Formats: sequence, C-alpha cells, structure tokens
Amino acid sequence: MKGVMLMSGGIDSPVSLYYMLRGGHEMLAVHMDNRPFTDDSPLEKVLDHLTLLRERFHQPIPLYVLPHGPTQVTLMRATDRHVGCVLCRRFMWRSAARIAERERASFLATGEALGQVASQTLANMRSATVAVGLPIVRPLVGLDKQEIEAVAKEIGTYDISIRPGVCCQAVPDRPATRSSIVQIQAEETPLDVEAIVDDVVRRAVVM
Amino acid sequence: MTYSTVRLCSGGGSFEAIPHPPLQLDLSALARRLEAEGVSVIDARVMLIAKLEQEVTIAQGGRILIKTHDQVQAERVLADVLRRFAIESPAAERPDRRTSRANQ
Repeated sequence: MKGVMLMSGGIDSPVSLYYMLRGGHEMLAVHMDNRPFTDDSPLEKVLDHLTLLRERFHQPIPLYVLPHGPTQVTLMRATDRHVGCVLCRRFMWRSAARIAERERASFLATGEALGQVASQTLANMRSATVAVGLPIVRPLVGLDKQEIEAVAKEIGTYDISIRPGVCCQAVPDRPATRSSIVQIQAEETPLDVEAIVDDVVRRAVVM
Repeated sequence: MTYSTVRLCSGGGSFEAIPHPPLQLDLSALARRLEAEGVSVIDARVMLIAKLEQEVTIAQGGRILIKTHDQVQAERVLADVLRRFAIESPAAERPDRRTSRANQ
C-alpha cells in the first residue's frame, strides 16, 4: 500500500518510516518546514534520513517540503496558545492528507508514541487526528523512547537526529495535555482553514 | 532587571538569554520600533522574530534566542538587541559565562 510519512528530523519518524518500508509499503515523505520557528537543521536532517533509507530499501521516497511557519504565525496571532501544539498538528495532518490525495496514497503515518510529549497524549492525538479522514498509522505507538533509540542506532539514523538544532520556538510554555474536540474546533472558527491549507500545498516543493 | 549572558539552548543549535526577573514586553511597540529602523520583523503576537545580524526570537517574557552556533556572535547580537530596546546590557556586570546544555 502507498502511504505518506510525516518526517520531522527527530529520532522517531525515520524509525517509523523504516518499519513501514520494511513492511513492504511504498512510502513518500512530507516535511512541514517550521522556519522561522526553527532553523535549517530539521530539513537537513530529514534529507539525510531519507538518503540513508532510500539506499537501504532502494525506494525513491519522494519528499514534499511544505511551508508551516506562516501557519504557525496565524495560529499564534488568533488562537489560545495552550492548545497551539494540537492546532499545529491538525494543520500538518490536513496538509499531508492533501499530498496523499494528490499522490493517491491511502494512509498517513507518523512517528508518534503514546504519551511521549504533550501533543501525544491520547486526548490530544484524538483532537489532532479527527481533522482528517484518512487512516493514520503509528508503528511506534506502544514503544518507549529507549526502544526507539535502540532501533535508530541500529539503522544509522540516530546520529543524524541528535545533531544540534533550534527547538521549535512555537511550543507554548504550558502546552495543554488534555484538549477537547469542541474546544479545538472553537479555536479554529475564526480561521479560514481551507485557504490556509490551499496556500501551504500550493507552495510545496518536491525534493 | 538584568540579563544573564547567553547560554547554549537545549537543542544545541542556538544561544538564549533570559532576564531575571521575567519581563512583560510590549512586543507590538518593539516590532514597530524595529521596522522603523529598517529591520525585517515577524510579529507573532506572543513573540517577535527579527532579522538582525542573525535571526533573533524575542518572547513576551523577555527570553531572547539567537540562531547561531558562535557564542561571540550571539553575545554581540544580544548587545545589539538590548541597545535597540534600551535594556541594560549584561556585559558590564556579567558575573560568569554560563555555557551549558541546561534542560536537556
């Protein structure tokens, strides 16, 4: 089956992609470019992760790079900061779903592991993922960080992931760990969601 | 209020300076001031991102993040930011040079 993997440059997403490729799936990648809330390093890491996995699995794994910084600015100006990470992820999912539609892929995939960070609590994962209709595959959902890191070291992606970089500056000081769908939808009411996603997808670059 | 000198941020890709005690900056006013000086600035309501010698993020509470791997450059950019905002520079009374991977 054909799927779209969200790649961040971190430790988890290349391991998740590795499992999907090992399972025989045809994958393409989406990176949400968070500059200026990060630096160039996440994109550089994703490119290096993909170089490694392309060689290993002899798959082209096209990479779509989508601008996410302007969306972050819109969210920071118009919405409650405490739920910023959930809203951010909803827009990532929507953008990735559009790419999946364009590429005729049938699922999305991610490196999320349950409870690892504030946006990956069960309540927040649910609030984020109801924004899209496609199935979302999470190969790492039940693994702990040590297990994921062990695989990352084994497949060679770990050293790339831990290179220095600017952490996301859009993360609020006290992110909500338990958001409700009603609250999240209310936050998005003043936003022209479709126009935002249209603009992001229109500016996609394939690498 | 004083700023500590810059220290490496947790991701290791930038330097940050934090005021003690925290500030409550009027970011809109600061954005207007920077723009009047010809600086490109993004006003994201709870933070500004300004293109000085290096890209700088300024949070409402006064935390300043400077995107560079060079500590000397980070200190120079911090001094520039504080001068533009008429905030006391740490250079004159800096007690120590903290360069740690705190919070990792």
